[in-house]
Amino acid sequence: MHTLAVYFREARAQVLATWRTPQFMIPSVILPLLFYGVMGLGLSKGREPVAHMMLANYVIFAAIAPAMFGFGAAVAAEREAKLVELKQIAPLPAGGYLAGRLAAALALVAVAIGLLGGLAYFGGVKMDAWRWAATLGLGLGSAVPFALIGLNLGLRMGSQGATALTNLLFLCFSLFGGLWIPLQAMPAWFGKVAQFTPSYHFGQLSQMLSGMQPVTDVERHVSILVAMSLAALIGAWAAWRRQAA
Amino acid sequence: MLPLSSEPPIAMLSKVLKRRGATLALNGLDLAIQPGQCVALLGPNGAGKSTSVALLTGRLRPEAGEAFLFGGDPRALAGRGRMGVMLQTAGLPNTLSVREQIDLFRGYYRKPRSLDEVVRLAGLEGLEKRRCGALSGGQQRRVQFALAIAGRPDFLVLDEPTTGMDIDARRALWSAVRSEIARGCAVLLTTHHLDEAEALADRIVVIDHGQVIADGTPEAIKARVSGVAIRCRTCLSDAELASLARVTGVSRDGGKVTLLTTSAPATLRELLARDETVDDLIVSGASLEDAVTRLVQAGQAAALQRQTEAA
Repeated sequence: MHTLAVYFREARAQVLATWRTPQFMIPSVILPLLFYGVMGLGLSKGREPVAHMMLANYVIFAAIAPAMFGFGAAVAAEREAKLVELKQIAPLPAGGYLAGRLAAALALVAVAIGLLGGLAYFGGVKMDAWRWAATLGLGLGSAVPFALIGLNLGLRMGSQGATALTNLLFLCFSLFGGLWIPLQAMPAWFGKVAQFTPSYHFGQLSQMLSGMQPVTDVERHVSILVAMSLAALIGAWAAWRRQAA
Repeated sequence: MLPLSSEPPIAMLSKVLKRRGATLALNGLDLAIQPGQCVALLGPNGAGKSTSVALLTGRLRPEAGEAFLFGGDPRALAGRGRMGVMLQTAGLPNTLSVREQIDLFRGYYRKPRSLDEVVRLAGLEGLEKRRCGALSGGQQRRVQFALAIAGRPDFLVLDEPTTGMDIDARRALWSAVRSEIARGCAVLLTTHHLDEAEALADRIVVIDHGQVIADGTPEAIKARVSGVAIRCRTCLSDAELASLARVTGVSRDGGKVTLLTTSAPATLRELLARDETVDDLIVSGASLEDAVTRLVQAGQAAALQRQTEAA
């Protein structure tokens, strides 16, 4: 009971701290909304399938930035400010700090994806209710592996380095994952690079769930994503242990 | 040496060896803190104070030897739940208020103090709603102290607690620490201010080069250096001063020199004869600072001698 309450309080404090950092909040939430509003709805005026397909990509896009920055750059900055050290000494159960950070990142992703879904709905995208839930839910779920990847950077690098590299990865994931521009419109080698990004596999699954692509190859996409998540989890665990030692 | 207590120690380092980079930060250090004791850990920069604190709080692991907290691993949650720590440089989240941050830390402990009590003890009345990022350096130190005592700890670790504080704030913190000691809390204090150690500690442990070089009550430590200190301004060099009759130690602080001597009249006669420009002359009993400086110097001289002999 006590432990649960600690996790809950830690998460609440992290959410509150994130909420009060507008310079982080606003770009994370507004950027995907703005992009989708202009490119997804504005340019595709009247072509519902395009707006629909882009929504499937953008729910993943909206998860990447808050998850990776909230967990990459933010952890690096708090490490530098020696905030993490005190929490490792205080009787906070193992992982309480990280769980709190994850909760804060997920809350932010939920806000970003919720607003995105609302924008798409009022912009004219039509799906069955379960497809809405599945598409938005997948977007939220995709935040976990992205957060773990960000955590690897945040625990291993200084805050400036982590911010720079997170930015680079964020752009690569978005571009090579085909989240901004469909891969069909890009040179063929983009498709080869795409295979190595989690964003591509999430994008494909998202297309299937939202009904824009036939359901094929699910096992392959899912197993690649599971493998990537596990690798990120193990890497983060090792980095956390090492810096605690 | 203090008489051995029959109670098990609150915290203990036993023959601890720890390297930091290429240097041997702790070289077989032994330290045991008994319940209710306030121990001041003193020594020059790089002596191993911070490393000792890091081992006792579980942030580092010894390479050889053992570290115990309440008889267990310093990393165990049970031990950490009975300890409060104020680190030398620990950040506060800029965007949370003082009240929110204290509440968060209170929540980590099973039987925390009430928020009001913590705020009062740390002297933070009126600042509860302020964001931590908007506080002055001294106020932030007080919040860190509040976090350390929030769980009514049995063991309080204060690493340079009063850096960045003005005199009033320091005295207020001292009286807060004294009331923690009075209710039976053991304290480990590291500080560069010897007056702070003298004001709070009932036991002084001087370490240098990762080893304990003196351990005892402040009075016992002072008694280990021969009685009298002469402070003055002089144009004589350290070597010349050291050669004066009965001088056992020389140290400088800005333009002033402190000479430790076993006989003030004998030393003074020679000093005044050798240097007519002597000014600002004060003769007093040796302070704790004099004693610690002397002990460290003696330790270093002995180490140097061992090295030369070995070579």
